[in-house]
Amino acid sequence: MADTNMIPRPATPPQPGANADLTTTWAYLLHGVDGIMTRLKDGVSYTKYMGLYTTAYNYCTSSRMHGGSLEAIGGTRTTGANLMGSDLYNSLQRYFRDHLQSIRGQTDSLHDETLLQKYAEEWNRYTVGANYVNRLFTYLNRHWVKREKDEGRKNVYTVYTLALVVWNEEMFKYIQAKNNKLANAILRLIERQRNGESINTGLIKQVVGSFVSLGLDEQDSNRSNLSVYESAFQTPFLLATENYYKAESEQFLAENTVSEYLKKAEARLKEEEDRVEMYLHSSTRKGLILKCEDVLIRAHAQKMWDDFQNLLDFDKDEDLQRMYALLARIPEGLEPLRKKFEDHVRKAGLAAVQKLVGSGGQEAADQVEPKAYVDALLEVHRRNQEVVNRSFKGEAGFVASLDKACRDFVNTNAATGSNAAKSPELLARHTDALLRKSNKMSEEADLEQALNEVMILFKYLEDKDVFQTFYSSKLSKRLIHSVSASDEAEASMISKLKEACGFEYTNKLQRMFTDMSLSKDLTDQFKQKQEQNHGEMEINFSILVLGTNFWPVQAPKIDFNIPADILSTYNRFQGFYQSKHSGRKLTWHWNLSRNELRANKMNPKYIFMTSSYQMSVLLQYNDNDSMTIDELVQATGIPKDQLEPVMNVLIKSKVLLSDEKDTYDYNPNYKNKKIRINLNMPVKTENKQDTSEVLKTVDDDRKFVIQATIVRVMKSRKTMKAQALIAEVTQIIAARFTPRIPDIKKAIDTLLEKEYIERADGTRDTFNYVA
Amino acid sequence: MPINLTTSDNETFTVDKKVAEKSVLIKNMLEDVGESDQAIPLPNVTASVLKKVLEWCEHHKDDPAPPENEDKDDTRKRTTDISEWDQKFIAVDQEMLFEIILAANYLDIKALLDVGCKTVANMIKGKTPEEIRKLFNIVNDFTPEEEAQIKKENEWAEDR
Repeated sequence: MADTNMIPRPATPPQPGANADLTTTWAYLLHGVDGIMTRLKDGVSYTKYMGLYTTAYNYCTSSRMHGGSLEAIGGTRTTGANLMGSDLYNSLQRYFRDHLQSIRGQTDSLHDETLLQKYAEEWNRYTVGANYVNRLFTYLNRHWVKREKDEGRKNVYTVYTLALVVWNEEMFKYIQAKNNKLANAILRLIERQRNGESINTGLIKQVVGSFVSLGLDEQDSNRSNLSVYESAFQTPFLLATENYYKAESEQFLAENTVSEYLKKAEARLKEEEDRVEMYLHSSTRKGLILKCEDVLIRAHAQKMWDDFQNLLDFDKDEDLQRMYALLARIPEGLEPLRKKFEDHVRKAGLAAVQKLVGSGGQEAADQVEPKAYVDALLEVHRRNQEVVNRSFKGEAGFVASLDKACRDFVNTNAATGSNAAKSPELLARHTDALLRKSNKMSEEADLEQALNEVMILFKYLEDKDVFQTFYSSKLSKRLIHSVSASDEAEASMISKLKEACGFEYTNKLQRMFTDMSLSKDLTDQFKQKQEQNHGEMEINFSILVLGTNFWPVQAPKIDFNIPADILSTYNRFQGFYQSKHSGRKLTWHWNLSRNELRANKMNPKYIFMTSSYQMSVLLQYNDNDSMTIDELVQATGIPKDQLEPVMNVLIKSKVLLSDEKDTYDYNPNYKNKKIRINLNMPVKTENKQDTSEVLKTVDDDRKFVIQATIVRVMKSRKTMKAQALIAEVTQIIAARFTPRIPDIKKAIDTLLEKEYIERADGTRDTFNYVA
Repeated sequence: MPINLTTSDNETFTVDKKVAEKSVLIKNMLEDVGESDQAIPLPNVTASVLKKVLEWCEHHKDDPAPPENEDKDDTRKRTTDISEWDQKFIAVDQEMLFEIILAANYLDIKALLDVGCKTVANMIKGKTPEEIRKLFNIVNDFTPEEEAQIKKENEWAEDR
């Protein structure tokens, strides 16, 4: 310890007696205190410690009046007791001051690291000593200092705090007065570390720690605040940080790519966080990080935004992640990215469909394969969903961008043109293909996966009712023709739709399944009854009874002659059904029925699977070998225009022969490799008809949905303005399709005519609900 | 580890560290100076008083440390709540009572200081100034005028 400036130390004075005066007392205490402050490593004996404590104690408890001490304090006593201590306190204060004044000159010639070293060394010695002295003077603290403070006196501190206050005045301010010498030394050291040098961080930690300790709360001097730390260090530190990174980032970006810069900025931010951890006060974190984010990110945000498309185009996942993480730190940093991402996805979706359609125009668009179409859309979705999850951590704003873009390109693209029903149709047809027996999806899990993917796109459909209508038409065919792949898969798909759109949406679909199982029971009961009444049935019979409102099928308007061979069964079933459900009307869909005929005349006895129309034609040849078309029309009741396609199939398969026009002959020499022959081929033009039929159904349904919604809204609101009514109805229906405003107006007119609602008196645009 | 304490009349007591550390003075010193086999001199305490004080410390050695901010704790100021053991312990002659209080103050044993001061407070409670003077052997050094003045100032506190 350098104590060359100290006054030569006198020999240890004797321990004063219990009633010694101030001079004697202080002479003894000064010697002890100075020893502790400057030569603590020499050690202190119990006797010495107790001697010092007892001397201070005795002085404070002595009841002698010390002339002048009360005036020195300058306060008036409100209590009767005469508390001793102010003289000791003043002496201590004077000692600390003299001590520091005697050593501070040593820092004059020091700079930078050596200055910090000296400062930290002196600080440590001084505070350890002061802590010791503080305890020796416990009684002064407990007694005199406490009482002074209780009485509201400012600038009286416990002994340790007093030591800090004196350090602040005599040491800290002394060094700082020379051009912030201390703080600047720290800043230069930190700058060296930022430049990549390795420095003694422990040193900074100590010096910075002393700044924190020196802050005293004006209101309560026992509590610390950060006033010294903030003004002497934090403020200049933040300014230096700003300047440093401003210069660095600008220079770096001038010489490197944005991708490189992202790495640099990320690393720098991490470094600064670590710096706080390592040697700064934790309260600096917020300000420092904010400053760094401002200089490193916000100042260069435009450059990052501009480079974003580039990163997306080249799938630079790591860079995207980094850019996302950086821009997420500043307000509004991500918004431009979300917007650009949305455009990016929309373009990708539109391009994928355009590629599929090629340059073939409208015709090519009509010919698009449902599977290829769906796969193309899904691929775009999948790829970008991955980008959202991986690069953007699934952040909600990017999810919204993805959804918005998908909704746009799923509903309107090169394949749909302006036909809003096209996408729902293609998706429904794709789903139909998946659910048919003919689908070669090997594993159940694969099928389930494929259905889940359908639901991804379904979510984006605007006209969900169009999908519903197509779907129910396809479903009815699968069920009637028994070509559904599995009941489980059908049920699974319906429950997915229900989850997405609610009970009402799938109600009809579910009813179709109910009818199927009821029909199976009905067939069994009928067979049982027949066996009881008439013995073994001659022909094998099964029936589907389909609820008129739930099935999208229409009975043919022809006067079909029921062949005599099945007439008795037909009549018996009619009777059976009426007895079970009187009052219900059965409409027979001969066009949807299937039959199996055994050709007894032929050798071998071929089995033909036919439609009912084909059956009724073939049965004619039990009695005739040749018939004209007119005779056949007469015999079957099938109009000529519908009969001709039936005949074409029979001719083509050579079951019948037609040598002359409009004359059809039995072919006795019919040969086929198979015994069972399916003649019941679907008629080609079906698809086209389907589509327009479905669209017509959709249109009709929509009128009702709109009307029903208006009535429901009016019933609850009683009175409403047209504008508000249209807005609310649009909002409610949007879950199923996007209603056109003219349609809503038309529906309002219809309801006015039917007197469900009326115009309020004297207004043109306010309606009342008519109960 | 045992601690040796030497009184002003040169008697040495050996007690458990835990007992000795009921005194904040001794506790702090052991922390600062470190432990050694030197005896700790207590120049302000006599053997007869230290014996009493150590008896109290021994009994209370396992008490939890008092909360930091006990000034805000009202129970400390209430005079009535002296435990039964403490009441018996403090039932000593007046001179010893004051010696114990002084020793507790010197050794910085707050809880014992409280017991002593509460006991004195209980002795004063309900007595007239004259009775109190008699109790503590205090000579009345007020002039009759001063006394009348003080009486008047404190009239509000009279229990009537």
